[in-house]
Amino acid sequence: MAAVQPLDTTIAVVTPENIAFEYQLAGPFRRLPAYLIDLAVRWGVILTVGFTLLLLGGMLTVLSTFYGPLTFAFIVILIFVINWFYGTILEAYFNGRTIGKWFCGIRVIEVDGRPVSPRSALLRNLLRVADLAPVAAINTWDPDIPPVYFIPTGIIGLVSMMMTRRMQRLGDLAAGTMVVVDERKWQLPIAKVDDARVPALASYVPGDYLITRKMARTLATYVERRHFLTPPRRREVARNLSDPLIDRFEFRRDIDPDLLLYALYYKTFLADSTTEPADLGPLAGYSPLAKDAGKPSGLGEPLQSVVLEELGKPAQRQPAQRQPAQPVNRQPAQAPLGDWRQASERASIQPGGEPSRAETPAGESPAPPRKMPGDDQ
Amino acid sequence: MNVAKLLEKRRVDWTELERLCEAMEVRGSTDSVSPKHRGAAGVARFSSLYRAACADLALADAYQLPPNTVTYLHRLVARAHNQLYRTHSPTPGGWVQILFREAPQRIFNDGCVRVASLVFFGLFALAMVMGAAEEQFPGFAERICGSKMLEATSESFKEPLAVNPEEYTARAAFYIRHNTGIGLQCFAYGILLVPCLVTLAYNAIVLGATFGYMSRDGVEGADHFFEFVTAHGPFELTAIALSAGAGLRLGMGLFYTRGLSRVDSVRRAGRDAVPVMAASAAMFVLAAFTEGFLSPSGAPYLIKVAWSILSSGLITLYFVVLGFPRNESDGGSLVRTARYADLVDSRRPIDGVDDDAA
Repeated sequence: MAAVQPLDTTIAVVTPENIAFEYQLAGPFRRLPAYLIDLAVRWGVILTVGFTLLLLGGMLTVLSTFYGPLTFAFIVILIFVINWFYGTILEAYFNGRTIGKWFCGIRVIEVDGRPVSPRSALLRNLLRVADLAPVAAINTWDPDIPPVYFIPTGIIGLVSMMMTRRMQRLGDLAAGTMVVVDERKWQLPIAKVDDARVPALASYVPGDYLITRKMARTLATYVERRHFLTPPRRREVARNLSDPLIDRFEFRRDIDPDLLLYALYYKTFLADSTTEPADLGPLAGYSPLAKDAGKPSGLGEPLQSVVLEELGKPAQRQPAQRQPAQPVNRQPAQAPLGDWRQASERASIQPGGEPSRAETPAGESPAPPRKMPGDDQ
Repeated sequence: MNVAKLLEKRRVDWTELERLCEAMEVRGSTDSVSPKHRGAAGVARFSSLYRAACADLALADAYQLPPNTVTYLHRLVARAHNQLYRTHSPTPGGWVQILFREAPQRIFNDGCVRVASLVFFGLFALAMVMGAAEEQFPGFAERICGSKMLEATSESFKEPLAVNPEEYTARAAFYIRHNTGIGLQCFAYGILLVPCLVTLAYNAIVLGATFGYMSRDGVEGADHFFEFVTAHGPFELTAIALSAGAGLRLGMGLFYTRGLSRVDSVRRAGRDAVPVMAASAAMFVLAAFTEGFLSPSGAPYLIKVAWSILSSGLITLYFVVLGFPRNESDGGSLVRTARYADLVDSRRPIDGVDDDAA
């Protein structure tokens, strides 16, 4: 089981519904800010309430001298309770979150995925002292000050976190809890295709090409991340996958690898066989197929005169499109990117070429836009 | 196989579940989302949406959902799961159960508490004897505590005990903070064993040496000192030993696993240690109030002695009577035990049937 899991800080939790969902574990760099915020909140509360109590006690001293010591007592107990039980109380009542954890988007849960129980919360918070050990003395830096050990270094907790699979400190280990990321970002991401060439190129992917799950996952991951890459980097990454695919699809070699993967993504996730074919506009008529190279006008088959005019100068036409990843290609006769024709035209022009694809364009391929030549007129 | 369309269809449900989660997180109920989600209907809707999301997640691979969406679903399900299975808020009854049933039983059977008590009271007695015997161990108490400290202690008990009643609360509060803090620290360091033993031994020796010094002949304020410590002594010293014992239980769990994995062993030790720690904390509070209100007061010595005897008796009762091993708890366990002979006996008729059939 562990061997197939990716090397990541996620932990799977099996729910009573027999679903295994994953939590992302929170490491020291998420937990330290939460701890610091909690520390600030703790002392903020103590100072605010203490100051208020002092004011109140000071005013009541007019009535009786009894209130002075009483105020002092309250403040001392307040400091004690807040310092030792702040985490316990908040985690027990607010479903495993303190204020600092809430800010940092993390939460304490039991290792089996249930919410943290009060007993576990108590234990893990009491043991924080041990996790913050060893304490350093302030006279390490200034020898004049007497050795008072009160600066926690937290090395024990850090080592414990590094050595356990669930990144638990000692308190977590004893209480059987773990800290997970509990993000509040809630976007439902699906990439939108804004490049007109993508659906067109997708329609040329052979219908008998079955996209495996692994391939689908790879494509989705690639498209999710391509926004963060520069065009040359995209091509570099995509080439590993696109080169064998170009061979298999018999596409021309100079197709942009990025565009090809994007088109496959479109075909896998977005294309719908019932939707209207993409409006190809003036670009209709190009073909990415290798055997069509050098025939930019779609072999002069019946096309609209407007389209024919456009196709006369493909090299000028291409840069007008939004093509962030277009490879430089100076040969005017070769359209460098995904160009297209309609499937039916292709069938009529190349009768022996790809019989399975041409004769049954709808049977196997869910995606190819099947526009009859007459539709254009 | 149009994933976008599928997502569009599901997204409505998911968004509704999200909104319900948000409402649950903020208010603890789904009432505020819409009139449709008020009361039981909201809960039912929430649970059915949650199950639907679970099903979507289970089928994510078959649907070929993009990884981002799967991540989203993981988070959505986790979030709803957190709302559906919430923390049980602590109830007073639960704490009573822990304090008066579980804790004494554990303390009675816990070897670590015994070790901690032996270390603490043994070193305490030893240091007291050594501190008192000035001829045999000259300067022992002074070296342990520092003569300045001892003189200050002696000085502070020169006057008869009669603290202004107004200061009682302040003193009690101070003792709660200081002593319970030490106890909790002892407990926390217990998981590392050595720091706990060091803290325990240090406190035992310092206390013992101070007691020894004060019991020497000719030390000023000795009478008042012993009058002061009598009342709260039983509670406080027991509480220190108990918290150290609970801490040592944790540490033992970490280092001596008894066949369990180390993590499981520590978890089990943690479960066992909490009741002991709770008992210890309760004693610290009792000790602090005694120390704040009774010990420094001008009450007759007889009352303080009576309270001391009473508290010792209560502790003994607590440990021995409540803590004496009982078998009734086995009744609630799902695990049944059976003797080997019973199992063999029950199988015999079946064997006989088999023989007949053969």
